[in-house]
Amino acid sequence: MLASIKSLALVALASTVAQAAVVTYDWNITYVNTNADGLFERRVIGVNGQFPPPAINVTLNDTLVINVINNLDQPTSLHSHGLFQTGNAQFDGPSMVTQCPIPPGANFTYTIPIEQHGTYWIHGHFGGQYVDGLRAPLIIHNLNETYKYDEEYTIALADWYHQEHSVMLEQYLSIFNPSGAEPVPESALINQMLDQKFNFVPGKTYRLRIINMSALAMFHFHIDGHEIEIIEVDGIDVERQKVSSFPITAAQRYSVLVTAKADTSMNYIIHADMDPAMFDVVPDELVLNITGTIVYNEASPLAPEELSQWEPFNDAELVPVVPLATQAPDQVFALTAAFSVLNDYSNKATFNDITYVMPKVPSLYTALSTGNLSSNPEVYGKYAHPMVLKHNDWVEIVINNDDPGNHPFHLHGHVFQIVGRGEGKYDPSSGPYPGYLNTTNPSRRDTVLVPSEENVAIRFQANNPGVWLFHCHIEWHLQAGLATTIIEAPEIMPSVLKVDPTHYEHCKALGIPFSGNAAGKEGLDLAGANLGPDPLPGTFTGKGIVALVFTIIAALLGLGTVIWYAREDDAQIASQIAQAKIAQEEETH
Amino acid sequence: MAAADYFSLPIFFIVFRETTEASIIVSVLLSFLSQVLTTDHAIKRRLQRQVWAGALIGLLISLAIGAAFIVVWNKYGSNLWASNESIWEGSFSLLAVVMITIMGVAMLRTTQIQEKWKGKLAKAFDDEAERGLGNNSRRYALFILPFITVLREGLEAIVFIGGVTFSAEIKSIPAAVVAGVFCGFLVGYIMYRGGNMLQLHRFFVVSTCFLLIIAAGLVAKGIAAFEANYWDKLIDAQSDDLGYYDPNVNVWALNCCNPNDNTSGGWQLMNAILGWSNVADIGTIVGYILYWLFIIAWLVFMKLRRRHRANADAAAKSLETPEELSYDEKEKEVTEHHHQDQSEDIEPAQLQ
Repeated sequence: MLASIKSLALVALASTVAQAAVVTYDWNITYVNTNADGLFERRVIGVNGQFPPPAINVTLNDTLVINVINNLDQPTSLHSHGLFQTGNAQFDGPSMVTQCPIPPGANFTYTIPIEQHGTYWIHGHFGGQYVDGLRAPLIIHNLNETYKYDEEYTIALADWYHQEHSVMLEQYLSIFNPSGAEPVPESALINQMLDQKFNFVPGKTYRLRIINMSALAMFHFHIDGHEIEIIEVDGIDVERQKVSSFPITAAQRYSVLVTAKADTSMNYIIHADMDPAMFDVVPDELVLNITGTIVYNEASPLAPEELSQWEPFNDAELVPVVPLATQAPDQVFALTAAFSVLNDYSNKATFNDITYVMPKVPSLYTALSTGNLSSNPEVYGKYAHPMVLKHNDWVEIVINNDDPGNHPFHLHGHVFQIVGRGEGKYDPSSGPYPGYLNTTNPSRRDTVLVPSEENVAIRFQANNPGVWLFHCHIEWHLQAGLATTIIEAPEIMPSVLKVDPTHYEHCKALGIPFSGNAAGKEGLDLAGANLGPDPLPGTFTGKGIVALVFTIIAALLGLGTVIWYAREDDAQIASQIAQAKIAQEEETH
Repeated sequence: MAAADYFSLPIFFIVFRETTEASIIVSVLLSFLSQVLTTDHAIKRRLQRQVWAGALIGLLISLAIGAAFIVVWNKYGSNLWASNESIWEGSFSLLAVVMITIMGVAMLRTTQIQEKWKGKLAKAFDDEAERGLGNNSRRYALFILPFITVLREGLEAIVFIGGVTFSAEIKSIPAAVVAGVFCGFLVGYIMYRGGNMLQLHRFFVVSTCFLLIIAAGLVAKGIAAFEANYWDKLIDAQSDDLGYYDPNVNVWALNCCNPNDNTSGGWQLMNAILGWSNVADIGTIVGYILYWLFIIAWLVFMKLRRRHRANADAAAKSLETPEELSYDEKEKEVTEHHHQDQSEDIEPAQLQ
């Protein structure tokens, strides 16, 4: 009996291992012309001559291989958003963080072991290429899904612009935009297309994987006539949470279960409403509320549209199905996000008054080539804002949002626990963090919204040696410098990470140094490192003092002249009066 | 500072100055009447009443016009206002600069003007005494002069107030106006009682200094308003007063000391009197300095010219014996010189 169970187990194991496949995608990245929103034809970035790029589907334990051929006229790179890349940091993707970008015309193969499951996406991470269309869902199926459903659909939401990102970026970062007004999208798309329809069969249960691939916009998602239950957030399965609508910020993902209705008499509208809170202006012609359709029967009429009501939602209340207790942090960081005009006179974003500027050497390569100095934050350059973590430490980051806008912050290489929320700014020197949500199984995700003038405390364990970017996922803000680089366990990186020499060939082709500190030099000699703008002094400079002194001198001289001008008349008058009096007295005598 | 919100210093100064001028004229007339008509009390009292009547009616009409102006402005003007606020601000400021400067400099000659009027009045009454008080216009001269003077001073005050504090809070106006009027009356009263003319002259010099400081500040503020209008349009600012400036011409930009910050009354006061701002650029600095250079040049020019004339007159007179000149002739001399001065002198037409 035992023997047969054992052999059954072996067979099962064998089949599991046998199922782990190498899934290969060939991505020839090119420009494509398209009129995705039906309002404007423009050039976008597509894959294999197609737009939108096709979704990637893999299963837990697979190895995902993406053969990239860069046929653009600019470098590129790809980031699999939400994937841990354990021991695989060199394939995480952000340009000048974990790799040199892929030169135009060159090949690059991403080899990624799939160690997790859920709803993810893959997007360009050189400049703002993903806003120009280089983005696609990345669906990782579980071997045995936690929840039972009949079918699934992917609903990828995104805001859409008519101009290319690089053009808008120039305007966004110019001195003529000191208020940092982000470009407002011209429209929005589902699955980067129009008029999406999703067929529902009565009685079946559907899993909808909702992804927000936007540059800026947050959406509120709801379906007319149907209740939805959240079952997954950023790849983490959670206990069912029934909602009528929920917000989803840029880069976040949710899976919901929807039960199809029993009859096919009507079709229903799926709503994805853009939240205009972050839009500087809302032009009259901008359609904020986009829709898709749940089709029971092509011939059926649409159910009357329901009034849009956006429900508030606290993702910290979601309960992960696989519990993970939190632990007291070994290190606590407070990062205060703010926007201001810096001394290059453009509006930039800062964490603790430092704006992110890319170093001359990708930070990962610096960590791998500077030996003992790799634990010294100095080697990464001040403006990469390095945060060095010790292997297996529990790390807490309190993110203070000192800005009127709402920002979604994303950590590469990890999911983090949401352990606290609060109002205002938290300063570690003032004592322990006051906003802890005392739960033994805190909610986990990889992209969290920190509302305006509020703070959120996140926690994770530094168990993934590598260099991980931590940044606001509003693309404009990343370009404006709202990022830090987490240098995790640099002391053991060389033993864990093996970078293929072909990666360095690409650096050579682009003239980018691939070893040494942030200036490409040995040791702590950082002369020539990329420097960012700093906050304006806000005090008198040399020319200010000179100007002030001259104005004061001018005023004093002027007043002196007035007194001089009037002075003689005093005496004159006095003598005239005296003379007149004398004359009068003489007359009357 | 709560107090500053209820008392506008620039308005106080303007009202004080205008009321002082008006009350000087009234007090000159009244004291002249007392001195000349020492015997005929009935006529004196009637003429004094004329003076008062003229002054008060002039005051009432100028207040009525002021109130009408404010009503019309609040009803219709503010719409025109909002879309081009900075341009209005700048234009009013520069207009106020011109008027305040002219009046401030003119103030320095007030005592001479007073002497001139005494001379004119004396002459007019001498003629009257000979011909009798039958002539109608002469009869009401003592009504018309104060009436027109007070009316004009009142309207001037309104225009000045409009220019200096177009955006002043309504609540800061009444206290300042009342205080200014009261102090102005006080000055006139002191003059009527025969205050020391020398002290009075010093008062005028000091108040002119204050007025010119305010005017210089207005030059800076006016230029700043025009520049803000230009820059705000360039950056397509969605709301105004956010303190964004053109970095290419900026001279200083302080995080502190912002007069737009409602919590710091001190900087607001400095802005009202000195034109201080935590942001300054080449335009405002150069404009400010040029204003003072202009004042210096103008005053120096006028004074040298007067000295030149005085020397020429003295040379001419040296041919005659100075002791033989009568009081009247001396007066004529002085007034003739004053006639030749710039038109900033107050010229009551009726008694020419």
